Amino acid sequence: MRFRTTISNVPTFFRIIQAIEKLQRKFVMKFTETELHIICNHEANEGGIQVWSQIKVDSLFTAYRIQSNANNEISLALSSEALLLALKSATASAEAGAAGDVDEVVLKLAKKNGHAVLSFEIAGATRMGKSVRVAHDVRIDVMKPTDVALLREPMCPEPDIHILLPPLQKLRTIVDRMRPMSDILAVRANNSGRLTLSINTDSVKIDTEWRNCTNPKMSSFALYFVVFHGELTSLSAREGSQEEPDEPPDPEKMFTVLVSIRSFLKFLNSHVVSTTTIACVCQHHCMILYVYIGDVADAGGVLTFYIPAIIDDGDH
Amino acid sequence: MPTAQLPPVLKASVHDVRYLAGLLRGVNFVNKATVTVTDTGITITVEEARSLLATAFIFADIFDEFVYNAEKPSLENSSQASDSEDAEQENAAFEIPLGTLIECLNIFGTAGASASSSSSRARRWKRDDDDRGSENEDDNDGRRLGPNRGGDAGNTSIEQYFASGSEKRTGMRMSYAGSGYPLMLIIAEEADGPTTACEITTFDPEPHLELPFNANETELKIILKSSWLRDALSELDPSFEKLTFIGNPPPESAAATGAQTSARRKSAARSGALQPPMLRIQAVGGFGSIEMDYPNDREVLETFECAQRVCFSYRAVHVTRALRALQNSTKTSLRIDSSGLMSLQFLMPSPVPRSRPGTKSGTEAFIDFKILPLDDDL
Repeated sequence: MRFRTTISNVPTFFRIIQAIEKLQRKFVMKFTETELHIICNHEANEGGIQVWSQIKVDSLFTAYRIQSNANNEISLALSSEALLLALKSATASAEAGAAGDVDEVVLKLAKKNGHAVLSFEIAGATRMGKSVRVAHDVRIDVMKPTDVALLREPMCPEPDIHILLPPLQKLRTIVDRMRPMSDILAVRANNSGRLTLSINTDSVKIDTEWRNCTNPKMSSFALYFVVFHGELTSLSAREGSQEEPDEPPDPEKMFTVLVSIRSFLKFLNSHVVSTTTIACVCQHHCMILYVYIGDVADAGGVLTFYIPAIIDDGDH
Repeated sequence: MPTAQLPPVLKASVHDVRYLAGLLRGVNFVNKATVTVTDTGITITVEEARSLLATAFIFADIFDEFVYNAEKPSLENSSQASDSEDAEQENAAFEIPLGTLIECLNIFGTAGASASSSSSRARRWKRDDDDRGSENEDDNDGRRLGPNRGGDAGNTSIEQYFASGSEKRTGMRMSYAGSGYPLMLIIAEEADGPTTACEITTFDPEPHLELPFNANETELKIILKSSWLRDALSELDPSFEKLTFIGNPPPESAAATGAQTSARRKSAARSGALQPPMLRIQAVGGFGSIEMDYPNDREVLETFECAQRVCFSYRAVHVTRALRALQNSTKTSLRIDSSGLMSLQFLMPSPVPRSRPGTKSGTEAFIDFKILPLDDDL
């Protein structure tokens, strides 16, 4: 089992782990020849939120070498906090090296004192120009292929609706205000660009509504990558005008899902990485959120959040 | 249904909620607040421990639109004339969760704490009348300040121009259909942005404490810059339980009115060691006590009237409740009557000059605290 790479995009990697760290203390990273998968599917998560993401190796790493008996895949379980701290030192040294020094962050799999570790070797320079090398080891558990095979993405029906979310930072301000008032958030969307976030309790009822959101036109997840490689410009140009003959007959019909407001806020922590986010509502089943990493033009990957619906007999 | 066609009891809108939110925050220490709507504006009243009553007076002219239609108590036509008279007298009142209202106004995060503008233009506290009832007084005051305000308006409008470039504002439209109906708010940040609709459940108002301030027996009357009081109160550790306000008649009070200030200062300095301080705030708690004296200086105590020594104690937590109101206020009037009831009134300057040329300038919004004294025997 061999693994060695240079992290070329430390800030993005840092931000992804920042979003993960708020969600789950221990998570799974699966390296394949072409992609890095990040998986958080702990049963005990607040409201049952899960993350299944795929990031292209090219968007984070260079000089990427991987070798293993399990189809050249390596799966690790590790602490998100420890990884975040290691990446933080790597980011800090990248800042220090802004004076022009080429510095490098090498990530490799190693064994130290009988424990498997991910070893970060950070080469930077001080302000005075002296070179500094920092080594940071994050203890990991290498997962057996049989355990990896047990990891399964949740099954979801075909989403009823796809909609592009407004900037997550703005959503977060609003949901933050709602949180003390309610535990349950209703997310509604329709095919004519309307999106509402609502809470409904005995003492207050709040509906925040966006119009003119974009409904990306597609039916399966596989197409998303196509969209973000070529079609997005035409997508945004189409904003507002919704002449889509193949869509369901009633574009005004609102599809609703109730989710835990805390789970939704955890997803909103990913605003640090997000540029574009697509939300899918599977009515009365779940909500799926695709958070695109980095610039849309070179969509390097996507963080996929699953938030199960809360089945409520109330009058939401 | 005929009732559904009645115009709403209250319809109000404002293009920037920060000032309003600041006023509401000033009394936001108890969640249940009573809102009373009248022709001239709205008041928000909260009460704590049957000994503290705080009211925010928000006048209609801070709203861009303010329409109040008195609610008809019933449709019975027993005696038309007296009925309509009653309706005029009667104000619409309801109870709402105040914290929720403030959270709703701040839903876009743009009704932040910086509600009042930094430009604290010096305003005279209108001559302290027993009640805010005397409209003439206000008008005179407003006219006297008229030209001065005009100059200010020029300055602030430039300031405003810069502010609008950098800061987003939240506009709000409020309506209340009548007793039993929720308070409806529509909040929007920008024209093409999201809108938020809120329905806040209202409750029937419960009777509040009546704490009439006996103005004829005012023992102590002080007007000072709010920051002087705020600094004093914010010094206090939460462990203090009791606050005592002590007022002493100013030295040679008879001569002071006629004499030159410099002469008075000199004599005050000479006899400074002997003279008791005009205003002393004493705090006592489990871990010690602290005394704060205000100097006899017009810069600090703009108005000071006290005929004989006054000494009353209050629960420290009740007095420090006023800190949030003090934050946005410019001037404070502090009065204590012979029964020890303390009335604190905080002038809340509006950040935007409301007196446009040609229009009558209105009354400043203010927040009023009334605090019952502690029984000395306890």
